[in-house]
Amino acid sequence: MSVLQIEHLTKDYGSGRGVFDVSFEVNKGEVFGFLGPNGAGKTTTIRHIMGFSRPQQGRTSVSGMDSWEQHYIIQKDVGYLPGEIALPEALTGTQFIKMMAELRGMSDMTYTDSLIKKFELEPSGGLKRMSLGMKRKLAIVTAFMHDPAILVLDEPTSGLDPMMQDIFISFIKDEKERGKTILLSSHIFSEVDATCDRISIIKDGRLVSTFVANDLRHSESKTFKIEFASKEEFERFREQVEYPKKLEVISVKRHRNQAKVLTSDADVNKLIEILAGYHLNFFSEIKFTLEDYFMKFYDRNQSVEGSAANAVN
Amino acid sequence: MFSKTIFKQTLRSNWKLWVVFTAIMAAMSALVIAVYDPKMIQGMMDMVKDMPGIADMMGDRMDGMTSLLGMLGQSFYGMQGVILALIFVIMTANTLVASQVDRGSMAYLLSTPIKRTKVVRTQAMYLITSVFAMFLVITIVGLSTVQLAHHGLWGPDYSKDVKAASDVLNLDRDAVADDLTLILNNEAAVKAGAEARGIQEDVYTVYLNQKLQTKAYEAAAEVLGIDADAVTKDLSLIKNNERALTAAAKVLGLEPAVYGATLEQTIAQSSLSGNAAQEMQAKFMAGITAAAEVLNVGAGDLATSMGKIKDNPKALTAASEAAALVPAQMFPEGTPAGVIAEQNEAAFLAVINGQLANDEISLDKGVDFSVKDYLLLNLGAFLLMFAIAGISFLFSCVFNLSKNSLMLGAGIPVAFFIFQIMSQVGSSLENFKYLSLNTLFDPGTITGNGTFWPQFAILAVLGVVLYTLGITVFKKKDLPL
Repeated sequence: MSVLQIEHLTKDYGSGRGVFDVSFEVNKGEVFGFLGPNGAGKTTTIRHIMGFSRPQQGRTSVSGMDSWEQHYIIQKDVGYLPGEIALPEALTGTQFIKMMAELRGMSDMTYTDSLIKKFELEPSGGLKRMSLGMKRKLAIVTAFMHDPAILVLDEPTSGLDPMMQDIFISFIKDEKERGKTILLSSHIFSEVDATCDRISIIKDGRLVSTFVANDLRHSESKTFKIEFASKEEFERFREQVEYPKKLEVISVKRHRNQAKVLTSDADVNKLIEILAGYHLNFFSEIKFTLEDYFMKFYDRNQSVEGSAANAVN
Repeated sequence: MFSKTIFKQTLRSNWKLWVVFTAIMAAMSALVIAVYDPKMIQGMMDMVKDMPGIADMMGDRMDGMTSLLGMLGQSFYGMQGVILALIFVIMTANTLVASQVDRGSMAYLLSTPIKRTKVVRTQAMYLITSVFAMFLVITIVGLSTVQLAHHGLWGPDYSKDVKAASDVLNLDRDAVADDLTLILNNEAAVKAGAEARGIQEDVYTVYLNQKLQTKAYEAAAEVLGIDADAVTKDLSLIKNNERALTAAAKVLGLEPAVYGATLEQTIAQSSLSGNAAQEMQAKFMAGITAAAEVLNVGAGDLATSMGKIKDNPKALTAASEAAALVPAQMFPEGTPAGVIAEQNEAAFLAVINGQLANDEISLDKGVDFSVKDYLLLNLGAFLLMFAIAGISFLFSCVFNLSKNSLMLGAGIPVAFFIFQIMSQVGSSLENFKYLSLNTLFDPGTITGNGTFWPQFAILAVLGVVLYTLGITVFKKKDLPL
């Protein structure tokens, strides 16, 4: 069952900015990663999901309710963490938490207090003098204080120190265990990689790929880097193996006597058999990461070949 | 309709600005009221009148300044109060919506189950409430200052002479103030009263008589159920109504028949042709000029301080001779020159005394303070600010960037203010008044019996329309949060 639905969302801000025909859905209990650099359209999409902007074409809905028409109803189940933290400066953290609780009609503060403890928040000071990290934590607490079923997170870990990032990522994992539906927008590969079930990559306002994260993690084809002991060995390898196409060689570095070879798990014995006949300096697997996959869409010079081709749905 | 929580937060973020502006404005208006001195203002006005250039520049603003409310209307409610309130309104309106969208802090309010319209309505509510509270405080401080500095707002007030005279007469002040004939009929009381006012006894007597006359007209007007001004313009109204005549005569302590005869005489005199009145005026000015020569001062200066002529017998003789107020044909042939001179002198003195008594009466009017007019003045200022705040609020709702919101939300109100000032400076720029909202609040019309309710209604309706428009725009627009 899809909780968040984005159907053919289009918003043209002019001069190529905006989002164009973006469609995806986030199912109940799923962590969905929304990956793209700054300015690709992540925040614009989230703006529409939250009901801050009206779509030019298409629609977005939360739990079946239109984001724009019923923006105030959907907020009951949504926890929103904005990308940029701008808090009302005249208040103290405590006053801000109290205000948000009142606006949400909350009376029981035990969950809020446990969040304050978990994120080591010191809410008593004025918001104007709070450090960026502390403001971040305050925003996190107020986004989750009503224990919403849906979390919309726009670059949630920026501004947190590495320790807090770890705490936050484990918090996301716990929330996922509790059955929350989460949309995580980010440009930090590690946090997307660590938490997401499915991932969409957005480029210049258009979705370029949507895939299941596990397919990428457990790809059946692997890339190996091989360095030969001498120039002769390297040339022999190329003559006997590369040109007859016995193996799929992706690239070579002549001055280092290196070659990169792509092989599927089923053919790995064949690779080792062939390599047994050569003097090698080393032989190592090159892990294919989300970053590599992501970069393919952004770096046009790089060849599109690679194991990830299999991962694309 | 409104969110109490958001209102509380808005109040917390904005109260300091409100306190600063309200304190400054209340202090300024209190200062204007406290230092107001009708004698000084009259002196200033007389001086200005003699300088044609400045007098032209001041234009009709001068007329208003001879009373406390007129003065307040021209200074505080025409200038400082408006510009300060303007700045407050511009700053607050921008902070309430546009700046929160620009900074992004609006996202928090909108990520709760509160409708957008409720958020923006609450902000509008704060803006209106703050402006209202501002003028409420200014009004209360103003009224308190009037009471402290000029008295007579709460409880009866007696002018200095009434106090002194009632002490001499050993009578209750109320009784004396109600019936000034009590003073007139007692030499010691007249002396004490004149001393208290710092004027000569004969002038004081004329002053008392003039006051009594006004009161008589007022009494008659009350009986007739019409405006006192109408009665003053047409005295036959009193004469032709038995009850009005009786009431007026009673004030003066006269028999109705006697008063009727006096009235008839006055009516006959006032029906003199305009030419005759002008002739009298010319003769009188000739007298003043002659006296000025004797005293070696400017005629203009002397016109504003005619008491000097009375103090100098030589000047008085020269003046009355030059004026020759009593027409020559009034004297039977062969009247000795001494008698003619004496009669002319008496006539001249009577005119001077009349003028001096008039000055005293306008001084009384100077501190005359109508609470109703003062409240109307503040209501008008509030309505003007209500409408202007509507402009700033609308643009605060329309634009997502503070700088754009300020460009129009501050630019238009400031332009209105400048256009109003320009329209007052010279008649060639007078048409600028049609380009300004500020001209709809004209303090002069309130203190000077002009029409102002239609303008007030326009301001109120315009304000409501602007706020509604702002709220609607905000409800429908895209927010870059």
